[in-house]
Amino acid sequence: MRNQLQIKFDLPIGNRLACLVLASLLLVTQVFAAEPDLKTFRSRIEPLLKQYCYDCHGPGGEASPRMTLLDPDIYNGVDGETWHDALNRINQGKMPPKEATTLPDNQREILVQWLTDEIAGATEAKRSTGGKVVFRRLTNYEYNNTLSDLLGVEFDYAENLPPESKSNDGFLNNGQVLGISPLQMEYYLAAARQALSKVIVTGDQPELHTKVVEKSIKGGRDNSVNGEIVDGRRQFIAGIDKYPRSGKFRVAVQAYAVVPDGKPVPELEINIGIRSDTLSPSRRLAVTEVRGTKSQPETLVFEGRIESFPLPGKNPKFPGIQIRLKNLTALPEPVPKKGEPIPPSTEPVVYVKSVSFEGPIFENWPPEHHTRILPQNGAGEDGYVERVVTQFMRRAFRRPVAKQEVAKVLGFYESIAHNSDSFEEAIRETLALVLISPEFLYLVEPIDSEGKTQELTDYELATRLSYFLWSSMPDQQLFDLAEKRLLSKPAVLEEQIQRMMSDQRSWQFVRNFTSQWLDLSGVNRIAINPQYYKGFDERLKLQMTEETIQFVGEVLYQDLSALNFLKSDFVMINQSLARHYGLPDPGSSKFARVPLQGGENRGGLLTQGSFLLINSNGEDSHPIKRAVWILDRLLDDPPAPPPPDVPELESEKADLASLSIKTQLEMHRQKASCNSCHQGIDGWGIPFENYDAIGRWRETGLRIVKGKQIQAELDSLAQMPSGIEVNGVAELQNYLVEHESQRFARALVKKMTTYALGRSLEFTDEEAISKLTQQFIADDYNMKKLLVEIVQSPMFQSK
Amino acid sequence: MNKSWHLSRRSFLQGTGVALALPWMECMGQDASVKKAPKRLASVYFPFGVSLPSEKSEYADWNWFPEESEGTFRFRKSLESLEPLRDQITVLGSLSHPAGRKMGGHDTGDIFLTGASFRGADYRNGISLDQYISAYVGQQTRFGSLVMSSDGGVGEPTRATTLSFTAQGRPIPALSSPRQIFDRFFGAGDASSKAQRRKLQNTGSMLDLVLENSRSMKKRLGRQDQRKLEDYLASVRDIEQRVNRSTAWLDIPKPEIAEDAVNLAVDQSLPVEYMQAMYDLIFLAFQTDSTRVATYMLGQVAGATTIANAFPACLGLQGNWHGLAHGAGKGDGAEKLGRFDQLLANQLSSFIQRLSETQEYDGSLLDNTLVFYGSSNSKTHNNSNYPLILAGGKSMGFKHNQFLKPGANVPLSNVFVTLLDAMGIPHEGFADSTGELSELRV
Repeated sequence: MRNQLQIKFDLPIGNRLACLVLASLLLVTQVFAAEPDLKTFRSRIEPLLKQYCYDCHGPGGEASPRMTLLDPDIYNGVDGETWHDALNRINQGKMPPKEATTLPDNQREILVQWLTDEIAGATEAKRSTGGKVVFRRLTNYEYNNTLSDLLGVEFDYAENLPPESKSNDGFLNNGQVLGISPLQMEYYLAAARQALSKVIVTGDQPELHTKVVEKSIKGGRDNSVNGEIVDGRRQFIAGIDKYPRSGKFRVAVQAYAVVPDGKPVPELEINIGIRSDTLSPSRRLAVTEVRGTKSQPETLVFEGRIESFPLPGKNPKFPGIQIRLKNLTALPEPVPKKGEPIPPSTEPVVYVKSVSFEGPIFENWPPEHHTRILPQNGAGEDGYVERVVTQFMRRAFRRPVAKQEVAKVLGFYESIAHNSDSFEEAIRETLALVLISPEFLYLVEPIDSEGKTQELTDYELATRLSYFLWSSMPDQQLFDLAEKRLLSKPAVLEEQIQRMMSDQRSWQFVRNFTSQWLDLSGVNRIAINPQYYKGFDERLKLQMTEETIQFVGEVLYQDLSALNFLKSDFVMINQSLARHYGLPDPGSSKFARVPLQGGENRGGLLTQGSFLLINSNGEDSHPIKRAVWILDRLLDDPPAPPPPDVPELESEKADLASLSIKTQLEMHRQKASCNSCHQGIDGWGIPFENYDAIGRWRETGLRIVKGKQIQAELDSLAQMPSGIEVNGVAELQNYLVEHESQRFARALVKKMTTYALGRSLEFTDEEAISKLTQQFIADDYNMKKLLVEIVQSPMFQSK
Repeated sequence: MNKSWHLSRRSFLQGTGVALALPWMECMGQDASVKKAPKRLASVYFPFGVSLPSEKSEYADWNWFPEESEGTFRFRKSLESLEPLRDQITVLGSLSHPAGRKMGGHDTGDIFLTGASFRGADYRNGISLDQYISAYVGQQTRFGSLVMSSDGGVGEPTRATTLSFTAQGRPIPALSSPRQIFDRFFGAGDASSKAQRRKLQNTGSMLDLVLENSRSMKKRLGRQDQRKLEDYLASVRDIEQRVNRSTAWLDIPKPEIAEDAVNLAVDQSLPVEYMQAMYDLIFLAFQTDSTRVATYMLGQVAGATTIANAFPACLGLQGNWHGLAHGAGKGDGAEKLGRFDQLLANQLSSFIQRLSETQEYDGSLLDNTLVFYGSSNSKTHNNSNYPLILAGGKSMGFKHNQFLKPGANVPLSNVFVTLLDAMGIPHEGFADSTGELSELRV
């Protein structure tokens, strides 16, 4: 079990013994006592705690927790998690601290045995009183995906919903944290109505507007030289006077690029917006590379929903919309004075031949998304509305619906039908009712009786599965298998997981899990100081998070070992990141796998811009943040938060500014109170000192004190908590693979399971996690196999 | 002043040529000839405290609090933009929430307007001042309150991203997008009032049905899940009440505000313009009497997660807000944070200025509006001696041009009680209040 794995750790002898003891214990404790063993606590444990712990953790002590206040009854008391924490610390050799007292091995054994038994027994006891049912609301992104799949129209339905909070473990899909408020309900209803008005149409097909624009609007407030040549100083602006106010549209750009030798392929950004007096609000439709040539221009086609973009208000001063084309790759070049000719560009340039707009586009009328809900077959016949409603409810509630349930909704329809403008209007309102019901907004898993663990029904399994892997509702195939009760069969289930993972929608898992696990949204919280990084392109932040997502995707889809997260011989980059990192250019803005030769100081998660930037302060590296991130996200061992009023490093003092951060931290550690925590932290961050705040390699550190630039020393030689010395990232990566791979495996298993279940793990889950970890390692750290194991586990399949 | 806003409420009413009764009067069934101004409160909170170098320091002039001498006071650099408004404002020092003094340095943003006490695992907040007032006056306007923050949503306990809490202590999600707030308050409905009425009627029956169905569902859920469902049902009941209120407002059109009255295209990446837009929205909501209470949480006290942490850097100031606050005790750090304090105060000044220049009834908008501005930290992590400013409210008897320090033991809730009294809201104290702060009023 996990403790057998821990034996391999390079721990001091005492701890190794403790682990050995534990390992053998778990083998014999398969049958737990059904009751707490308080007798042993009183006779043997309490005296032991008194002797070795209460000096600090007793009534007179300062340290938390106050152990005398903990309830020794782990079965029924509320302090199970605290005791479990204590056990972990004792096992890791962190408690009691060496400088305080030494706990003799035979005493440690008694303490560890009692705690292990009690916790294991309580786990079992808790399980028999029922696992935790997850009744959770859809997250905003799940809501969005679900409506898109349910209605067949892609749109940002969640745009107005209040932003959501993360759980303590960093996940957005945690049922405990996902609250609801009246404001949110109000927007749910508004979103449902808005969505249904898009999907269910009335009247004749709206007129199609088409326009082909070959000449750009010249002039303009911020740039007087717009035109058909798009470079670092010029845009192409197509004026569209007639446009729909809602519906799908298509934009086609005919263009080619001229790229000077050694320069990258230009990327073209296509924005749609309006012109107003002071501002030109717009929203991005797409970014694309232009590869066509003068002799062979290419036509790039994009689609969108026009209501997602800023549109003119009533009686606007400037009617119509504008399509703006911008060159993202070309560097800015000076704009000549008015009337003077523009010198030719030395940058990659896009020549735009034409921009065409057409919309609203419907392949059929009524469109398919309409007839899917309101089939033309049988319209107007008896029972038509009932069929429509039943079919919609089944998909929205993700399960069969009872006749009584349908009857109530039909009752509503009948009460409003006579008063509505049209049949379609009444249906829209009726289906909106379905979309604000808890059965749609929540993952509902009813139980027969309180306190009993039950297996999921096949429908519930289909739902959990699809929200895990697709962040959306099940598709027809999953529903069909659920109906036949085949899905819960392990072979069928595994086959379905494989199918789902080869579907594009599984990128939802990669995206959502990766960004929550690794806190990628953190790039938005760091403002890069332009004094330090002149000309830093904010768009790189997004590319850095994309790099990490693509990297995790590559490991997952290519069946690579998850140890690649710690150290890899390839990177996933595009041309702008290649330039940023100084790596060979893959020649495209699309992400591609680029092999490393060695010596580039890249590879794994920890040399990626996302990690390095998120854990900086926007000016310099931040070894503590980097260290805490590794401990928290990769090793699941977050250090205690710093005490209030902890001083910052004083690198802005002129006399200290030229010292390396490592030296400054050493000074910090001279205080005993700081040292107790920092000796376990600093070593994890110092090896990254050669990476600056934006993730580039550097040889010296830059600090600006009172406007003066000061070159600071760098030192990336660190002593790890285990005592081993590590110099720089390459050695740290080796250290992680050699010494921490099991701890990393366990951490990854825990994070993924937490995400899969939509709840925080508790100590009752320990055993299952250990089992999964063992299997994960035996499967060569294969993430796809881990997904299967998680789904096949009782944790996932019971409620 | 935003020049694009030329239309005062009164001229708008005249300009339309329609005898449009003021909504609140209509609802109150009052005689429209009795012109009684509404009373309003805007509360603005900022995190991490202010720069407080000692008097001996070479940076002493960056101390946020005014300098006192011989019974009068002088604004220092941070608040100098308030000088022209000194007759309209009072600076308050020494105050704090007693419950907050025992809490973590980062935990007190949640209770800035509630004064509630929570520690450890037991998190229970109380009603916030704005919602308490809204319970009395909220029915008279289209919206009960306006709740905004730069981060949006509710955040998490001890790191709330909203200042407003219900009577049950539940956080009220804050809106953060100027466009969304504008649409909600001033955006035109899409259909005729007949169609809207029908929609509201439908909504009413939908909610009834959802409540009914959920009751039968509840029986089949585990205990913990039942509590979650209870939250959902509470939300449904609440919007049912809103539907009733909206029905009453149906025939009264939303005020027409030109879109360029507020810069709606900005977001948090342009902090100065963004904060200005948020103040503008409060201004418009008050001027049109769309609501009487508004809260705006500029940032939350979690350096690691609040979007406002990046605000100072975007303005060319080095470092993030939390970092600036930490560095304020060292060297020229006092000046750096001070410059950001100054920028925040400048924005407050423009807001107060705009209120004071806008006429309504027999005075200015500011005379009928209280602006309460401050932080729950003096210096970073320090939960006492809050830096506070109270502005406006002349028609409610507030006297200004003062720098008051009522004493470190006086609870901030005493100020709240004074505001409630002035606004004519009945109460039996607020949170841990011990009485009024009589120096505030004539």
